[in-house]
Amino acid sequence: MDNRPALTLVPPVAPDALDPRAARRLLPGGPVTFPLVGLGDPRPAPGLEAHLAELGPRPAPPTADDLVGRVAASELTGRGGGHFPVARKWRAVLAATERTGVLPLVVANGSEGEPASAKDAALLCYRPHLVLDGLAQAAATVRATESVLWLHGDAHAAHRAVVRALEERRASGLVETPVRLATGPSRYLSGESSAVVRALSGGPALPESRRVPTATSGVDGRPTLVQNVETLARVGLLARGAVDAHHPTSLVTVVVGDQRTVLEVGAGVTVSEALLLGGWPTDDVPQAVLVGGYGGSWVAFDRARDLPVAEASMRRAGLSLGAGVLAPLPARACGVAEVARLAAYLAGAGARQCGPCLFGLGALSTTLTGLARGAGRRSDVRRLQGWAAEVTGRGACHHPDGAVRMVLSGLTTFAADVERHRRGRPCPGAGAPGVLPVPEERP
Amino acid sequence: MTSRDGTRLRVDPVACAGIGMCAHLAEDLVRLDSWGYPVVPRRDLDPDEARHAARAVTGCPRRALRLAPESTT
Repeated sequence: MDNRPALTLVPPVAPDALDPRAARRLLPGGPVTFPLVGLGDPRPAPGLEAHLAELGPRPAPPTADDLVGRVAASELTGRGGGHFPVARKWRAVLAATERTGVLPLVVANGSEGEPASAKDAALLCYRPHLVLDGLAQAAATVRATESVLWLHGDAHAAHRAVVRALEERRASGLVETPVRLATGPSRYLSGESSAVVRALSGGPALPESRRVPTATSGVDGRPTLVQNVETLARVGLLARGAVDAHHPTSLVTVVVGDQRTVLEVGAGVTVSEALLLGGWPTDDVPQAVLVGGYGGSWVAFDRARDLPVAEASMRRAGLSLGAGVLAPLPARACGVAEVARLAAYLAGAGARQCGPCLFGLGALSTTLTGLARGAGRRSDVRRLQGWAAEVTGRGACHHPDGAVRMVLSGLTTFAADVERHRRGRPCPGAGAPGVLPVPEERP
Repeated sequence: MTSRDGTRLRVDPVACAGIGMCAHLAEDLVRLDSWGYPVVPRRDLDPDEARHAARAVTGCPRRALRLAPESTT
């Protein structure tokens, strides 16, 4: 394919990523590395004292209008993957509270279901006080009487860090909305916001069809602000005026080999630079990059390499940073096999509630698995595209839409390989172990 | 009246069990997908269509269909 020398991939270390006098960082200690699966044994997070020494106290809550206005001006979007404008959610919660008189609650969503992503874990393990600052600030702003921090049941390291941080805050006498720690099943979808709301209302942690937005009527019918932990950490900085609005950063997880590396990069950093900062070897060129997460898009490396790692730039290219995943696929790996593995994972990770998703992703996965083995049929691509169109937009949540996006972008990006597989000549790498982590899903 | 008052036929995909009654009761509006689950128009219905759709709504054994104002999701 591309025989250009690998040194096209050697950039200077992006200055923006290392500038110490820039605004405060989410990850001041630099990149954070986790194993491919699980959180390993991260070193203890800085305590409350160190946190306050670095950033100063959380400012007294300004009036709601003030912080909402600042959030709006910063154009902060939700970092759970949806990139929904944060200020719009806050205003919806305030309006619903005003209208109904029912007291709202705030949920910090740290349930990071995306297997490739570890950015939320990085913040919970190394920046728990900043997340809790943001949570307290959000709760004060929407006048919530209760805050909940929602985690995967098996996120032990994150859980430990948060428990310790909460104890420190209580012991120091910080006055803030009480935080309840709640955990859900460690499944891909248990961090989906309607699933979180359903679980906290006493139901199963599964997505549901919502007639009214969570912000209007969520947990037990109360106006509910569900916000990803990175989003809240950013609120924690924003409330202190400790962000540079003109040079926003992005938090991404780069998956290389048996490691996931979480980086905070400035807007000027390109995909190829981020991959190198994330540990991609300089003497190799990936064939493609999965951008956003398992419900994101495959992009040929030639198209991805110079894209700035920022949501606005990705949007202009028809992509999304989603949950902040950049997963390069080595040249020797088989793209078709990787798409099939991820499709099988996503089919199994569904909530088994909505027919089109259950059967549609099942059909996609089965056909892709055959294709990956070289046992495909002439009509496979046409059938895959047909099912993809049928499934899109037909679930209670966006799970099927993301799976379809990943599959269709894979068929396009690896079109030449797909064609060879379809003719019964799979890539040499098709039988090799997969590249991206695919955890066991327990239904 | 104006299009702001338009109604849409909506399916709750969690409640729907793919029984397919709706496709009999409102055959011009509802078709079934490859697995027997209803596909409904993603647009406002005119009053005549809305009457047909209402038959499907009341006939659904799973109460999975509803007619909703255009603005709700």
